[in-house]
Amino acid sequence: MIEKGKISAMQMGIMMYPTITATAILLVPAITARYAKQDMWLSPFWASLIGFLTVYIAVQLHHLYPQKTLIEYSEDILGKFLGKAVGFIFLFFYLHANGIIIREYGEFVVGNFLSHTPLVVVMGSMILVCSFAVRSGVEVIGRLAEVIVPVVIILILANIILLIPDMKVENMFPIMEKGIMPSLMGAIIPQGWFTEFLLIAFLLPYVDDRNKGKKWGMISVTAVMLTLSLINIAVLFVLGGITSRFLYPAFSAVRYVSIADFLEHIEAIVMALWVAGVFVKIAVFYYALVLGTAQWLNLSDYRPITFPIGFLLLLFAVWSAPNLIELIHFLGSSSPFYRISIQTGIPLILLFIAKWRRKTNNQKLTQQG
Amino acid sequence: MKAGVILGTLVLVALIFLYEWPRINRTQKKEKVVFIVLLSLGTILAIMLILNPDLPGPTQMIEYIYKPLGRMLEK
Repeated sequence: MIEKGKISAMQMGIMMYPTITATAILLVPAITARYAKQDMWLSPFWASLIGFLTVYIAVQLHHLYPQKTLIEYSEDILGKFLGKAVGFIFLFFYLHANGIIIREYGEFVVGNFLSHTPLVVVMGSMILVCSFAVRSGVEVIGRLAEVIVPVVIILILANIILLIPDMKVENMFPIMEKGIMPSLMGAIIPQGWFTEFLLIAFLLPYVDDRNKGKKWGMISVTAVMLTLSLINIAVLFVLGGITSRFLYPAFSAVRYVSIADFLEHIEAIVMALWVAGVFVKIAVFYYALVLGTAQWLNLSDYRPITFPIGFLLLLFAVWSAPNLIELIHFLGSSSPFYRISIQTGIPLILLFIAKWRRKTNNQKLTQQG
Repeated sequence: MKAGVILGTLVLVALIFLYEWPRINRTQKKEKVVFIVLLSLGTILAIMLILNPDLPGPTQMIEYIYKPLGRMLEK
């Protein structure tokens, strides 16, 4: 095995939490609000269903091929040629998706804080930091997540509490004015984020206590669902019907915090910790990509290709969209279907084929015996 | 301007090479090949993007494939 490190199931769950939430709290609330209006707080619940399904698929596949990652067992299931082709689709997907994530991060930082810094420098420095984390292996990323995530969660909750004076509960009404459809439509976009739980297929082989993998995966999905729902409620209560007009609603809402004219401008702290969260997100995606590439090419080590792939990631981040508006348009239209079909659709087909092959093999064995 | 950016890119690639190359084991032939191939792919892509920033990207390709579904969400 290329990766010798081991993580606990809890670390895996903790790693996955910022992997979904970090960018899901940026642009997603605005896109959700566009469809769901005042029912936007319901959308994460519907969206999380696909998260549970994805975790279930990944865990089932892991039970069939305990020592292998997604890239390796897709070759076992589909045979050499098709397996390599599917592996390439996954790798391309993660390269592209991570490029988009890095771009979202860069646009956010440049748009709100470092307005005179070139985008490439902001994104490049993040990739550099992540590549050192990736080179150190899965254990280091797991521990980093253990340090960062509790602070991020406390911070999110603290911000929501600080926003309570600005909240207007009546923004929520009428609940389900036009039935269930708007909230379901609003759920399509976050669904794309929940399918990213497929990344546990890259982490499960290195989990120590393997029977707890499923439990912590599910806990992680639930935590993400509650967080997104809580943030959507907070944003809705503070901003109301104009939520969809903001670029970064959650961030704009935090700017409302003003306690006794003393505690203000806490968005700088939010930013600092959010960057830590997105760092874990990029590192996990980057790690899956590097490990997957090394396994796809049957290398004995993944470290040598970390920096070249980091360089490619930077290029894809620049290449993925000409500007922020195009990026939002992509995220709000084709991207959820793209993510769902690759991160849930293909693994589901893999699982069916694997089960079916297992079954026919068993039948053959019993006939021979 | 563009020549400067290309020069900067080449310096970056050279730095990656100088950092990583001595760390790859002499016996790891395949790793060396993959390292060189990925790095040159990156360099070629970088120069292409610098010379022609409007090069159609992966996002356009995906958007083209998923357009019929994506239209459902457009307003």
